Amino acid sequence: MARLGLKDITVSYGTNGKRTTALHNINLNIEDGDFVSLIGPSGCGKSTLLDLVAGLRTPSSGQVLIDGHEICGPGPDRGMVFQDYSLFPWMSALENVRFAVEHSWARTDKDESLEIANRYLDVVGLSSFRHKYPNTLSGGMRQRLAIARMFAMNPEIFLMDEPFGALDSLNRVFMQDILVRLWSKDAKRKTVLFVTHDVDEAILLSDKVVVMTPTPGKIKEVVKVPFSRPRKRQSLFVSQDYIILRSKLLARFSEEMQKDLEKQEKELITWSI
Amino acid sequence: MADSPKSSDWLLELGDARGKEDWTGKGIAHAVSGFRLGAEEAAVIGIFGMLLLLVASVPNAESQSVSGSNLFLFVAAVLPVVFVLRLLAAREDRQKTTDLFLMLGMLLLIWEVILGKLDLLDPFLFPSPERVFDVFRVDYRIMLVGMISSFSILLSGYLLGLVVAIPLALFIGWRKRAFDTAYPIAKAVSPIPPTVYLPYAIVLLPTFSSASVFVLFIGAFWPIFVGTVNGVFNIDQRILNSARTLGLKEHVMLSRIVLPAALPSVFSGATIALIMSFVTLTVAEMIAATSGLGWYIEYQHQYANYDKVIAGMILMAACVVIVMWFFDRIQKHALRWQNAGRL
Repeated sequence: MARLGLKDITVSYGTNGKRTTALHNINLNIEDGDFVSLIGPSGCGKSTLLDLVAGLRTPSSGQVLIDGHEICGPGPDRGMVFQDYSLFPWMSALENVRFAVEHSWARTDKDESLEIANRYLDVVGLSSFRHKYPNTLSGGMRQRLAIARMFAMNPEIFLMDEPFGALDSLNRVFMQDILVRLWSKDAKRKTVLFVTHDVDEAILLSDKVVVMTPTPGKIKEVVKVPFSRPRKRQSLFVSQDYIILRSKLLARFSEEMQKDLEKQEKELITWSI
Repeated sequence: MADSPKSSDWLLELGDARGKEDWTGKGIAHAVSGFRLGAEEAAVIGIFGMLLLLVASVPNAESQSVSGSNLFLFVAAVLPVVFVLRLLAAREDRQKTTDLFLMLGMLLLIWEVILGKLDLLDPFLFPSPERVFDVFRVDYRIMLVGMISSFSILLSGYLLGLVVAIPLALFIGWRKRAFDTAYPIAKAVSPIPPTVYLPYAIVLLPTFSSASVFVLFIGAFWPIFVGTVNGVFNIDQRILNSARTLGLKEHVMLSRIVLPAALPSVFSGATIALIMSFVTLTVAEMIAATSGLGWYIEYQHQYANYDKVIAGMILMAACVVIVMWFFDRIQKHALRWQNAGRL
């Protein structure tokens, strides 16, 4: 049985007169310990899909199953990192992590949660910034903190919504390394659902890449990434297999983008007439 | 909990060039530059020097002079000392301090010259600064009692407003249905000046102070309520979603997420409420009190003691400044995370 299952999911919103379908007939099974990326152009509903798994949104029809049980609402078994805004600006770095540790599992031992929080701040190299507020940290540091928070909470499933989307390329490389390093360190790897629009990022990090298409959001293809771990950028990025896989994914991706652009263009023309 | 970064040294080296920049920054440049008296600061000292000279050596017009010790001389001597001390204490605010004292010094100088020395206006309606400041010497006891009475009413009414309005507004802002009902009512009722409730409050409540506290409470309640509800309603949905993924209990959600997220708006409501409270207090005291700052002004007004009226106004302004200063301090501390700024 799959760890995380999406069964016949459809999400639509709006009034009856003009209903928009964000996701249509989504079926996806993710095995325990898999790192799965969702890629696709904007508007393909990848963030919506993540919100569904997080329990922030309920599907119009279909089910989200964890270990065969349907989820109801958000829970501490799933941790989420957003592009930004994961952190609470009124709490210091340490308080942010400790608060999450304390409340997500209703821990009562304050010393223990403080110890956990400090340990994970140390792991991401933020221990000397523990009393700083998020507003005083750089974007990269904030995301490091958000990741530390998620690992400290120790959920079964990691949900990441374009977590490095707002970072510059150097910081992004650096963050990818931290994520993989932390994720691989656990004897029992966590299940990760990772939303991105960066094909290289998806290949580098994932075991499987789910390609989605927009309007309405559908899964077009699930591509296995065959490369063994640990993956080294220098050798991976120049290998034949990588280049083939990358261009294959890019082709899928751009095909959809092309279609989408043409469609938008047509709409524009009909509008202007 | 070791403070020393262990395996993570490489992180600090590699990543976040921006993060490092934050550490060096400004601040230091300010601290290094020594204290020098600029032209504007010298002008302030000069104005106060002139004022002191005038007050000390040139006698006032007969109708504008006071007998006995001259308190205004003391004030004119203390102000420049306060000015220099402030310059030394808060160097970042140098310009602000200088401008403020420049205005103050000029005002006092003009007042002293036109009314005290030249006696250009009717001395009955326009007293000299000597006469006004002399009131503080004569009436300090009645003023002190009035301040205590005013402050106790002000603080009780205002704090009651805070304690009732914030939790209620948090709850109402959080529950959509309650919000939809309460907000239109709040919008309609909140602009009604609270003093119109005074007759009813006086009839229904046993003492004048309890009636005043009630009216102040009403006056403080609405701005705080509306500010808080607005704050809750405008919380960034993304932050709420992030909190929801933690699976928080509702009371934790309200106290640790919703309240702090709405706090900037709560404070802007509370600032308006505080100013409103001062106005309400003064009006309420003018109508029915037997003590207090507002009462003092109104009472002296009836006896046409305009020097005392002006002294009362100065005292009230001083009280407002002091209360607002404390309020600002509290606000800055509570919202220190907001404009923490880069280091």
